[in-house]
Amino acid sequence: MTWENARIDKAKEIIEMYPQKRSALGPLLYLAQDKDGYISDDSIVEISRLIGITEVQVQSVASFYSMYKQEPTGKYLLSVCKSISCEISNSSNVIQKVKEFTNLSNNETDDEGLFTYESVECIGACGGAPAIQVNYETVEGLTPEKAVDLCKWLKEEQPKVVVADELQLKFGGTKSFDWAIEDNTGSSSPVPGFQTYEMQEEI
Amino acid sequence: MKETILLTKHMRENPEDSHLLKSYEKNGGYKGVKKVLKSGTPESVLEEIKSSNIRGRGGAGFPTGVKWGFLAEDQERYLVINADESEPGTFKDRILLERDPHQLIEGMIITCFAANISKAFIYIRGEYAKPARRVQSAVEQAYEKGYLGKNIFGSSMDLDIVVHLGAGAYICGEETALLNSLEGRRGEPRLKPPFFPAVKGLYNKPTLVNNVETISSVPWIMNNSGKDYASLGVEGSTGTRIFSLSGHINNPGNYEIEMGSSFGEFVESLGKGVRNEKSIKAYIPGGASAPWLRGDQLDVKMTIDDVANEGSMLGSGAVVMMDEDTNLLFAAKSLVSFFAHESCGQCTPCREGTTWLENILDRIASGRGRASDIDLLLDVCDNISPGLTWPPKMTTICPLGPSATASIVSLMKDFRSEVEVLLPKKVVVS
Amino acid sequence: MTEKITFTVDGKTLEGKQGQLLIEACEDSGIHIPRFCWHKRLDPVGMCRMCLVEIETPRGKALVPSCTTQVTDELIVETESNTVKKAQEGVLEFLLINHPLDCPICDKAGECPLQDQTMAYGPGESRFIEEKRHFEKPIPISDIVLLDRERCILCARCTRFSDEISGDPLIEFIQRGNKTQVNTFPDEPFKSYFSGNTVQICPVGALTATSYRFKARPWDLKKVSSTCNCCSLGCSVELNVSQNKMLRILGEDNEFTNQGWLSDKGRYNFEYLHSDNRLTNIKLKDNNSFVDANISEATEKLKNKIEELHNPDIKFLIGANSTNEEYFVINKFANLMNRNEFLSKDKSNVYFADDNMFSGYFGENHQNASFEDLDSSDVIVVWSEDIKDNIPVLFLRIKKAVKNGVKLVVLGHTNSSLESLADLYLGQDVISNNFELKTNLGNIKEFQNIIENKKVTIIVGKSTPLQQKKYLDNLVDHIQKYSQAKFLNCFTKANTFGALQHIDQIKGLNEFCNEYEESNKNIVFTIGANPVNASFFGSKIENILKKADFVVSLDIFINATTELADLILPTTSFGEKEGTVTNMEMRVLKQNKILPGPGSALSEWEYLTMISKSLDKEIKYENVDEINKALCDEYENNEELPSFENLNKPSNLFGMKNRKNIDINIKDLEKNDLSILMVKRLYGDSSTQINSPSISMLGSERFIELNSKTLEKFGISSKTANLIQDQHSIFVNIKINNLLPDNIVLAPINRRGFKNLDPTKDFDIREATNMKELSVN
Repeated sequence: MTWENARIDKAKEIIEMYPQKRSALGPLLYLAQDKDGYISDDSIVEISRLIGITEVQVQSVASFYSMYKQEPTGKYLLSVCKSISCEISNSSNVIQKVKEFTNLSNNETDDEGLFTYESVECIGACGGAPAIQVNYETVEGLTPEKAVDLCKWLKEEQPKVVVADELQLKFGGTKSFDWAIEDNTGSSSPVPGFQTYEMQEEI
Repeated sequence: MKETILLTKHMRENPEDSHLLKSYEKNGGYKGVKKVLKSGTPESVLEEIKSSNIRGRGGAGFPTGVKWGFLAEDQERYLVINADESEPGTFKDRILLERDPHQLIEGMIITCFAANISKAFIYIRGEYAKPARRVQSAVEQAYEKGYLGKNIFGSSMDLDIVVHLGAGAYICGEETALLNSLEGRRGEPRLKPPFFPAVKGLYNKPTLVNNVETISSVPWIMNNSGKDYASLGVEGSTGTRIFSLSGHINNPGNYEIEMGSSFGEFVESLGKGVRNEKSIKAYIPGGASAPWLRGDQLDVKMTIDDVANEGSMLGSGAVVMMDEDTNLLFAAKSLVSFFAHESCGQCTPCREGTTWLENILDRIASGRGRASDIDLLLDVCDNISPGLTWPPKMTTICPLGPSATASIVSLMKDFRSEVEVLLPKKVVVS
Repeated sequence: MTEKITFTVDGKTLEGKQGQLLIEACEDSGIHIPRFCWHKRLDPVGMCRMCLVEIETPRGKALVPSCTTQVTDELIVETESNTVKKAQEGVLEFLLINHPLDCPICDKAGECPLQDQTMAYGPGESRFIEEKRHFEKPIPISDIVLLDRERCILCARCTRFSDEISGDPLIEFIQRGNKTQVNTFPDEPFKSYFSGNTVQICPVGALTATSYRFKARPWDLKKVSSTCNCCSLGCSVELNVSQNKMLRILGEDNEFTNQGWLSDKGRYNFEYLHSDNRLTNIKLKDNNSFVDANISEATEKLKNKIEELHNPDIKFLIGANSTNEEYFVINKFANLMNRNEFLSKDKSNVYFADDNMFSGYFGENHQNASFEDLDSSDVIVVWSEDIKDNIPVLFLRIKKAVKNGVKLVVLGHTNSSLESLADLYLGQDVISNNFELKTNLGNIKEFQNIIENKKVTIIVGKSTPLQQKKYLDNLVDHIQKYSQAKFLNCFTKANTFGALQHIDQIKGLNEFCNEYEESNKNIVFTIGANPVNASFFGSKIENILKKADFVVSLDIFINATTELADLILPTTSFGEKEGTVTNMEMRVLKQNKILPGPGSALSEWEYLTMISKSLDKEIKYENVDEINKALCDEYENNEELPSFENLNKPSNLFGMKNRKNIDINIKDLEKNDLSILMVKRLYGDSSTQINSPSISMLGSERFIELNSKTLEKFGISSKTANLIQDQHSIFVNIKINNLLPDNIVLAPINRRGFKNLDPTKDFDIREATNMKELSVN
């Protein structure tokens, strides 16, 4: 067993939600990534046992989806959008600045394990292009300068939980739509802050 | 031109707490479903939906009532909400999920009542973490109130809803790929036939797969009537539709409008015109898969049929405006890269062809193009989408590969000179 | 019957069956549509897109893959239009842009569909000027299979096979889109009994076999069809030989039997044919060592011995690898040598070397099933030795039937591998450690619900030599009472059913041991039998052969049995002899000769006719055709004859039900409590396997299986331990199998170190603290 009891309990709880065990594979892979920052071989073995499929079947699914990382990631996963609306809104400048600041190229993680940089396809923030996600928390209406400020702030503050609304307020600009109220939920690891959220506190 | 506010009414009027059950209910929410459960029949709901003439909002525009009618009989049937909104340019479902999740849940309950379904899923793209949290917490509130679970609203109906997160694969927006993904498999589209979801869907059981916006429209239709809904918009494109406007626009965003105005009016009145008073060189009328229209085609009406007549599609309702300064080769390259990155890899033409197209465009963009490259690009496109027509003929299982050709074909048809200047002259030996 | 329909292809009107796939319907009418991913025995995936054709639809012509389109009445198809050609050429170009040009060093070259298509339709030159995809090449994904991902065209044949057909999905697509590759999980190699099938169906040289790599070019191979002799299923095979060396065995698609598939043992268990250890000369024992002899010295010696002993008892221990023609002659010869020549029935002197043999279910009251019945029955009930390990391709047939909706009931405790497929598995609640039914089957509601008033195929045999037949009778009688039952007698070894058909009466090894004591003058013939190794009676027989007056062994290797012989006659083996064999559904199939025997090796029948001649007895056959004719002469006139002539026809698939009453005279062993369940694993230490280098290592692991409750009792926490009984101690890997009953361990009888264990005696499992000291044995 390489997983903590709380994680296994959470996994079993998730499996229960579905008519067939295998459907829980996706959520379980997020539990794995939350643990190690990527889908480790140990977790693949663990998951294959939990849902009764072979290791390579788990790996096959995990490697299909771009949000399941096959290499260790840093504490903050920086995903800058490069799809059409962002592309024509100079996302390439944002990309360049973030790369310069972090000294990383695409899909690289720094030695300290703080940042992983990636340029990604559309994140659904087209009305607020160009946009970035930090651990899947969206910030819209960026400028290259604000993007660098964001990275600096992350580096200095190293917040435990990354909250979209907080980042947007500090570094964002034009939004895709009115976000209305301020929301303080967020993500505590390089996975979407969903399902892993409460479990994190237990561990 | 003005918006017609149906689906976005509650969120606009109650911005501070529209996502909470309390607020939704205070403003008339869950009234429709209560009425349906008390005095309606599945047939009466289906009749209402049919008479509204609402068509699917995911992109394909299939009549929703007809789709529900196709659902095969079986003890186990499922509803799956396609919230895998990933088409570049599109962010309309995001607002519905984030700001008014109960409207969707109410729509789902009514749908499940009409189709005799007791288990439903909301498949939300993984990048929509915050919307997913909002939906999850709305589902939990609904369970607490007894609006979900066993004997909901005190009726004999049971309904469970599971919120499921995707993980970064655009192809899962294709309904059969989504079902594979929900089953814990690679998000590869299934063969149709035999895997029509209404007959062999999730776990090979009859399954309704509907878009967020479609099902979010259901409560309004039931609170009012199918006829009222059908009276909005134009024939063939009834009701309202939320368009996501982005690109070189002063006021980008989601706009709920009746279909039938022109793109030009839309941009001017709601989008507040083109940024820096530039003119539009080209625009994408319906998401990244759609062939481009030129700036001189802004008077095209925003209806499913009008856009189709221009050789493109209204698709997902994502309108991307590109001004006169846009480097269209780079725009096309971005779009082709997107499809190459998102190809599932099953079909040879898509797997190999989209990456090849990306390579050629890269080469041209970096000044290493060859005189024969335009012909090569178009021929490779032709081998993915024979005849280069729209809607596309396909050599593939799903339309992803052919979609990748749309921007190249548009570029070469209307803006060829922008590419030609980057290529060495063809040497003609006579 | 499926409805016949007509459709039009390229202007020609063709006939097809409703629901048939277009590609198959065209194939049936001689129109070949190019394809890479489609395979008749796999579910279509429509991935490679090579088989695109145009059909007429209400909305005009449409390009569709012919592998996913069903023919319908009046369908109009074009397979050669310009649109079709352009699309197919496009697909071919797409496949080639990342395919390496290493045909000159590729095993597949010469029989490669991609190469053939490219030669026929491919572009003259490449328009692709970018760098090709690169992968490390080739990588071993198991002991017997190598993977070259650069050559792979991602047709999903191997992944589908392992998922749909063999049910061990250990090879899969990794990554997506243009980065997609096929691979295995790092710590979990392609460990499947059926992996070789993926090599055979790979349409390019991406999967290759270590045993065949760089050995030959397809155009240099001599080929002949034959029938595999690894178990009683009778898989159709093609033997590939070059310069008198067997280089490869391929599965042939026989609709009635293997449907194209083979187990890896059937496919790779052939290198022994050319082993230096093969017996090539006649050997006579002289002062405890063997010396070469010629045939007249040998027959003379035997003749003298018979005379010297004055009317000795002559007994025959026979194995399962002889042909029907050989059994026919063995039967004649044994009868001639029987002191009680043709006297009372239970005086047979032929003993069959299979521990689990029993009288079985034959005759009028028990209708014999065909493999086809598996697909057409409602329910399959299995209570037998482990099917996957002993008749691997039958496991595939059962899996296929289950996939198509046939229900499966499995009775414990040996068929754990069928449990995941089963609708009902009856374990220790119902079946005791001694394989007794604890309750009346009628009391088991789930069981009754599944079988009542259904068509049931029962696969039945003893799971262990100690099982009492009456419990099998209980099962059989119960099902016959409530349902329509057909039987597959689960005797697992090669040509067992040929022996049953052609030997007047067969006895078992227990009878051999008991009856041996009845005489004090004994000559024993062992014919292709090695009962000293891997048998419940191993040590008893070893003692008997040691004290017998004279032992003659006809065999291909010196082994635990033949080393005790006084005279060894080297025989020919698989591929070196012609004849017929009978599989477990009583289907007669042909084995063909493509190789000469080594040295002075001869067929069993040749030795026996020579010996009988030297003894002035009347067995006179000049060649195997004569024997086959004589064998056919014993058939009733109206039966279809298993003559070479008939079997050599292209449609060589004959069904032959019980030609005559099968007579098995074997009694139950005395009841005894079982503590070690000895089972035969697919890979073990048989002479043929240890002399086939490619697969010799696969049977080397020593292990035991037990349930976790039993393991807990011994307080073992590690994954290895010592299994101890009396002075024997074996260092073993421990595998948890919670389908086993409490207080029992399962151990492989055909692995080294296990043969001296007594299944009825207590054992202990101890932590392997000092491995050296404990693993004496």
